[in-house]
Amino acid sequence: MGNCLKSPTNDDISLLRGNEGHSEPPDSSGLGPPPPYQETVPVYHPTPNVSRPANQLTEEEQIKIAQRLGLINHLPTGIFDGSKKVRECVICMGEFAIGDSVRFLPCMHTYHKDCIDDWLMRSFTCPSCLEPVDAALLTTYETNSSSN
Amino acid sequence: MANIAVQRIKREFKEVVKSEEVAECHIQVELVNDSFTELKGQIAGPPDTPYEGATFNLEIKIPETYPFNPPKVKFLTAIWHPNISSVTGAICLDILKDQWAAAMTLRTVLLSLQALLAAAEPDDPQDAVVAKQYKENHPIFLKTARHWANIYAGGTIREDDYDNRVIQLKNMGFDPHKARVALSTHNWNVERAMEHILNY
Repeated sequence: MGNCLKSPTNDDISLLRGNEGHSEPPDSSGLGPPPPYQETVPVYHPTPNVSRPANQLTEEEQIKIAQRLGLINHLPTGIFDGSKKVRECVICMGEFAIGDSVRFLPCMHTYHKDCIDDWLMRSFTCPSCLEPVDAALLTTYETNSSSN
Repeated sequence: MANIAVQRIKREFKEVVKSEEVAECHIQVELVNDSFTELKGQIAGPPDTPYEGATFNLEIKIPETYPFNPPKVKFLTAIWHPNISSVTGAICLDILKDQWAAAMTLRTVLLSLQALLAAAEPDDPQDAVVAKQYKENHPIFLKTARHWANIYAGGTIREDDYDNRVIQLKNMGFDPHKARVALSTHNWNVERAMEHILNY
């Protein structure tokens, strides 16, 4: 059960939407030996103001976090190529550099992938417009799966 | 402190310093230490409120997890307001708690606090005594808030009758701040304020 909560490194959006996006470079570690056990337990935030190591979560919290990780991974990602108008990630307030991994929310706001993923694990809303991500995400998700 | 927090505060600090509101003396931020973990904020009392003309100092502490968690803010200047503790300066404001969003900044926090001074939420109080007075004796609340702003925050309008009642208790040997709290709590009734001080 503990391993379910490990943050996945691959994004599986390409499986849902065809290969229109940027596909991740092939993961060579899949062929090598299994990754070593993590020495530090990852910390999760079952609610925005609570921080707890993964091995101290209740079963309910584990399920919630696992679901959250799954939902986050359904949000599209890309590589910043300078073609969009947006210049700055409002979470870190740093400018996007060409080649940065970014994630797009259903409300069309764009952030650094690492920045927004950290936020979404605490609160499933867009930090800019406060739009809940759930509702919008679930509708697009359902539309996509029914058309497949 | 985590790198992202320091980077954010540095950028925000620049943003606030050159903002229009600073130019117009509505808000201000200064650094307290070199590590960007603690800042001092200042907001001007909004016009057409009992706080007009007064200046309030704020303590701002930046958590390591900023901007994923809100800054910890409290009033250093004593204030009479339903959503701010008259004892500790603790603030009850949703964006400093569960309504925080990572896109909010020091500037938006200070402007929200200024807006809170102009529009109190007595149904979601931090200071129950003040909130009760706000709802049940609004004219007394306005005068009390003005009096506190005059005494502690440089507000320009004096409430002479309240000043006199504080002096009356002070001349009897009571600490003026304690006297002011007791009088404010008991709608400026001198006998009940005296009883309050003697019983607590």
